[in-house]
Amino acid sequence: MSDTEETGSTAVSEPLDLVRLCLDEVVSVKLRGDRELKGRLHAYDSHCNLVLGDVEETIYITEEDEHEQEVQRIIKKQSEMLFVRGDSVVLISPFQ
Amino acid sequence: MSFFGFDATLPRDRGHSSKAPGFGQAQDAFAGLSGKGVADDDDALDFEETYDGLGDQLDETDDTFNDDTFGNDTAQAVGKDFDFAGQTSRVADAIEGEGLLWQAKQPPPNIHATRHNTQPAKPAKSGYEPYAQPTYIPDLEANASIWGINPKRQAQPQQSHPRQESQAPPAAPARKMMSLEEVEAMMLSQSKKPAPQPAPQAAAFPSQAQYPAQYGQIPGQQGGFSGPPQILQRPQQPPTSRAPPQAHAELPGHAVPPPVQQQPTILQRSRQSGPDQSARHTPVQHAQRPPSQPRQILQNPNRLSGHGQPITQPGQQRQGEFQRGPQMGPAHARGPSFPGVVTHPEQLLHLTEEERAAYLIEDAKRAKRNHKIHLLSKDNGLMTPQDKNFITRIQLQQLMAATGGLEEHGPEAALTEDFYYQVYCQIRGTPRQNPHQPASQFAQTYLFQTGGRYGMGRRHHRGGDNHMQRMEQQVQRAVEAAKAKPKNKQLVIEGSLGKISFSNSKTPKPLLNIKRPDHGDGTQGSGRRPSGVNAHGSPIIDRKTTLRNIENVYDCLMKLEDHERRMPPPLAENSDPQTIQAHMEWQTQTQKLHETLWQDLKIMEPINPNSLTPHPFIAILSHAKGKKAIPRIFRQIDEQQRIIMLTMIVVHLDMLSVVAKAIPSADEPNLSPAIREEVELFSHAVMPPLFGHIAESPLNIVIGLLGLILDRTNLHLVARTKIGMSLLTMLISRAELVKQSTPEMNPGDWEQWMQLYNRLFDAVEPVLPLIFPGSVNDTEDVYVWQFLAAMGVGASPEQQQRLVLGVKDRVMDTVAVSKALPAELASVRLGHVNLFMRAIGLDVELLG
Repeated sequence: MSDTEETGSTAVSEPLDLVRLCLDEVVSVKLRGDRELKGRLHAYDSHCNLVLGDVEETIYITEEDEHEQEVQRIIKKQSEMLFVRGDSVVLISPFQ
Repeated sequence: MSFFGFDATLPRDRGHSSKAPGFGQAQDAFAGLSGKGVADDDDALDFEETYDGLGDQLDETDDTFNDDTFGNDTAQAVGKDFDFAGQTSRVADAIEGEGLLWQAKQPPPNIHATRHNTQPAKPAKSGYEPYAQPTYIPDLEANASIWGINPKRQAQPQQSHPRQESQAPPAAPARKMMSLEEVEAMMLSQSKKPAPQPAPQAAAFPSQAQYPAQYGQIPGQQGGFSGPPQILQRPQQPPTSRAPPQAHAELPGHAVPPPVQQQPTILQRSRQSGPDQSARHTPVQHAQRPPSQPRQILQNPNRLSGHGQPITQPGQQRQGEFQRGPQMGPAHARGPSFPGVVTHPEQLLHLTEEERAAYLIEDAKRAKRNHKIHLLSKDNGLMTPQDKNFITRIQLQQLMAATGGLEEHGPEAALTEDFYYQVYCQIRGTPRQNPHQPASQFAQTYLFQTGGRYGMGRRHHRGGDNHMQRMEQQVQRAVEAAKAKPKNKQLVIEGSLGKISFSNSKTPKPLLNIKRPDHGDGTQGSGRRPSGVNAHGSPIIDRKTTLRNIENVYDCLMKLEDHERRMPPPLAENSDPQTIQAHMEWQTQTQKLHETLWQDLKIMEPINPNSLTPHPFIAILSHAKGKKAIPRIFRQIDEQQRIIMLTMIVVHLDMLSVVAKAIPSADEPNLSPAIREEVELFSHAVMPPLFGHIAESPLNIVIGLLGLILDRTNLHLVARTKIGMSLLTMLISRAELVKQSTPEMNPGDWEQWMQLYNRLFDAVEPVLPLIFPGSVNDTEDVYVWQFLAAMGVGASPEQQQRLVLGVKDRVMDTVAVSKALPAELASVRLGHVNLFMRAIGLDVELLG
């Protein structure tokens, strides 16, 4: 919606055209540093900078406990609105 | 004078003196001048000749800590105000006026002879507050500024003979600008000016004599610098005997008027009694003050300039009474609020108690205010107007470079730059005819404001204009440069193998160059998924196709809305052919875009009742962004298209996601938040335009729509959802309204309507107990009561009874529940029930 670029046709001519279809939809975004976001995609640009709304951020942390066993910890955060810098985006997919 | 055991006039003395405490910036300010201006003055004196080499014998080692002792902070304030002549001339009027004023006021001069001293103290108070505490310091300060006129030069000559020659020149620049009358007036005024503060002055003067050991360099300097002068030195000499001859001696030395002007001073003085030695400073001080005052103005433009002089008088008076007075700097005291300006201590004495109290209070207020101003103005004057202009120019340049040549690219560029602002302005109706306006207006305002600084009685009127012009020119140049830049995006350096390409915000360097496929041919988009290809042929529509359709709709919508913005000026009878042509083209384009939009909506796709997938248009409505587009689309399409859209929605009412998914089931009476949100959005985005349309539709349309609902949809489902029920309510109430407003309606139509109504009633009756959402405690059941009310109004008595029977339980429950509720909530709920009850001629009150 907030994208004013003129595409003329929505024929998929570049990868980001697919992202465009997800505008105003709930997407999951995988980020570097073992993080995932789930939220409504409000805007994006050619750098994959994203603006997400109603975001749930999931951080996966692997720690070693006293027995040298790997323990996975998950932290979840909620944000009303999030700007995601494109250089940390690994993957964007529609949330199903 | 004898601090180092040398005569004060020794050349090195001046070095110390500049560091003496209390001299403040004034002295140093003039030091700058001495190097340039005065050294090459006409004076016939050859300093090399007069120099006897005594300076070389000076023991310099003891000077090492002079800085520590006296502080060397004076070095910072190398002044810029060496334009004594100009500044004096500026103040000359004020001085003259002052003089005349005093002349008129106070005929007998002698009484106040001893009070002249205030005069010298004045400069000290203005702008040098920090130095003001000990009473003598103001005096030193004043003297310092006197010497400052020509320190270096004065120091060179030894002893007193050169002194006489050197005396005049320093004062000369200041005096030259004054006419004889002016000087006379000035002197008169000084001689008559009452000075309430003899004490500090007296203390100050002796200090020079009494503490030579402590401040040796000060007297020494006076001797050597003698600047303004002659008078200054006199105190150190037997006044009566010496002064007159000296004055005469000066005469031949300078054929110029100044000496002549001086003469009266000295002569006058000599007539006066002994203590007035100090009084002789006054003319000098007066001559000195001009330089220092403009400087203060420079430092704090808010303060008043020369006109403040008379006002400073009371301040000085206060000095005698409150020691704090002087710290405030008389220059700050502009426009005293006390009505009768007390310029004379005796005046104060004559005042009544109350008046005096009032005066003192006023005074204290003023002092407080001045103190505040002083605190605030601590850093004033750090930047000169030139500095400020420089910064302004840089900022403006950047601004203009950032926004680029808006004028060049027109409204499109403005929109590209700042789309949301432009749209916001359009929505808000900001008074703005075209997109150029903000930038240039802004720039102009900015420029004007900056230029306005010079309007406030500053002396740089012309300079200000120049700055403004220069700034405008610079902006223009910057804009032009910004325009020119994108043209050469590449630089090929001779002999090199590669090219260097530039990029800027306007034309970013293309890192990827992806060619869009031609839209003309049928094989749209090689990357398109195969499923998309058969989207036209078959009704198999997946989610992605729907999303794509929505994007198409938005694309077209945005183009349309953008196109609206470019509407050419309205046509008039005498429009020139060019405008008409533009209009024609614009309308053709609009037409085309409307058609595209209509196609993109997929609303005319054939309806396949047996299809498992919803109609493409209905699919669009299942997405939030699709719903949001409806009001925008509704604006664009014509009446016929609106009816088609309404029909489409009504026909597929039970397939709408907000209906189909919003039916509460037995095990899940409450809707999920996501569905709730969808319903909310639908009723806010899609329903209003539909309702708006229905509210203006004739009965036959309403009949047609209700017929479609009854024929094509599962009414049991529709009636159990908020959206479906709202639509039904809308249709029924519209029919009722039409009936009431147009009595002479076609009876055939009404007949038809009653048939439909009866069908509807029969269809709804079995589900009446189910149409309420949730339990009795659910408060969001207004729409149901509204529906029931609409039904009840048109119902026959028999139907009304059936209605009551159908919802009786709910009515009773609600009444019961509301009894347990707080009064406010209860009345709301009962009010809802009453919507229905009143429609059938009842009232909840009757239920007891």
